[in-house]
Amino acid sequence: MLQRQNYIYLTLIIAITDFKIKYDNSILGYFWSLLKPLLMFGTLYLVFSVFVRWNVENYRLYLLLGIILWNFLSEVTLNSMVLLQSKASILKKVYFPRWIVVIASSLTSLLSLLLNMIVFFIFFIFSGAHFKVSGLYLFVYLAELYVLVLGLALLLCSLFPKFRDIHHIWEVFVQLGFWATPIIYPISIVPAKYHKLIFLNPAARIIQGCREVLIGPGSEFLSLTNHIIIITFAASLFVAGLLMFNKLSRSFAEDL
Amino acid sequence: MIILEQVSKMFRLPHDKKWTLRQRFVGILQKKTYEDFYALRDINLKVNQGEFLGIIGKNGSGKSTLLKLIAKVLEPTSGKITVNGNVSPFLELGIGFQGDLTVRDNIFLYGALLGLSRDEIRNRYDWIIDFSGLERFVDAKLKNLSSGMQVRLGFSITVSVESPILLVDEVLAVGDIDFQHKCYDCFESFKKNGRTIVFVSHDLNAVEKFCDRVVLLEEGKAITEGCPLDVLTLYKSQEK
Repeated sequence: MLQRQNYIYLTLIIAITDFKIKYDNSILGYFWSLLKPLLMFGTLYLVFSVFVRWNVENYRLYLLLGIILWNFLSEVTLNSMVLLQSKASILKKVYFPRWIVVIASSLTSLLSLLLNMIVFFIFFIFSGAHFKVSGLYLFVYLAELYVLVLGLALLLCSLFPKFRDIHHIWEVFVQLGFWATPIIYPISIVPAKYHKLIFLNPAARIIQGCREVLIGPGSEFLSLTNHIIIITFAASLFVAGLLMFNKLSRSFAEDL
Repeated sequence: MIILEQVSKMFRLPHDKKWTLRQRFVGILQKKTYEDFYALRDINLKVNQGEFLGIIGKNGSGKSTLLKLIAKVLEPTSGKITVNGNVSPFLELGIGFQGDLTVRDNIFLYGALLGLSRDEIRNRYDWIIDFSGLERFVDAKLKNLSSGMQVRLGFSITVSVESPILLVDEVLAVGDIDFQHKCYDCFESFKKNGRTIVFVSHDLNAVEKFCDRVVLLEEGKAITEGCPLDVLTLYKSQEK
């Protein structure tokens, strides 16, 4: 129905208007999306560098990067469901491919991820860390993360209109995942027998990979095997999400 | 051209809607508490290009469901719908505007939803504002506009898309007399340009005046179709 090039414009305009609605009537506006992970970082940094001390090199960068990446995952997955709900009145009246809503909601989060990464690099420079050319591999990890997160969002959104509980359940899972992933603590404090379990989570692999590529030390997660594992996970989740979304989104107009 | 073959739409009417998993699990133990409700049953309909088709019927007879099926918002339970050409739906009040956005933003959002590119919307922008008569309100939030103004805006955007097929669902009643005249003028020019219109209305005078053919729906079935005068006479005779 729509022409293909207009899909891109439609996705953008849904993202932009959603953005306007979200930060309407708030003075700091968009800065909140930047401030939230930073405040969280500040709190956790205070606790885990003053009260508790880990033996991690460059802990500040280690923690900040972990929080930023996890925050991206939690934001896209949770917001996509909220956006779907808030666009119910449109979905009921006009036909357009429903996945556009999911992509649109990921765009705002992608923007805040990029801004957060800029903040990270400011910290990075002041910490006196050295940037290596191999650091550009970061973008490979970010691309993997994006596919993974989009797959999750599609799966969640396809179930959401029929089972509203998904939103609450997923909120708990995100909380759980935050502590089950080495974000604030180094993996070295976890008994070795649990490592396999922790790295079943592809997000944990991506986060570790990003750290190793930027701040090191270690190179366990830079291997091709690691990329293959992540990509297999992310791609199959994405395909599963797409198929399910395609099937279930047909009745969105009735269920929302 | 729109072709509907043996189209049915069934809704499950729950006696107690289950929204959560818990309710669903509890529900497994209980007897099924819904009934099948056919909003439309075995509809065969062909709308030719350039035709102005009216659909009339009482509340709940399936008129809006029929339009939503043609607009692809709903999927038919059974049967097949073929639509050739772009469809611009104009369904119900509000048509999915975002109350927290300004009139200007809503024009761009809704235009994009109807398949326009940014440049296409820009080209139509002045016309839309002019036709809806909302010059003073472009920066006002939509929720602060009266319902009549919202309908005017919705109609103006939908018309400006110039898609070959237009679906209009009982909305013009909200606009004032002046705007209604403008709309009817619009319809006249559509007819001249050979655009297809499916028109749902309770305004029987308008139906009689504009429609080439009228379908009467009753409880989800198309009971007659034919020239406006005959169908309207039958419809009116049922009232007593």
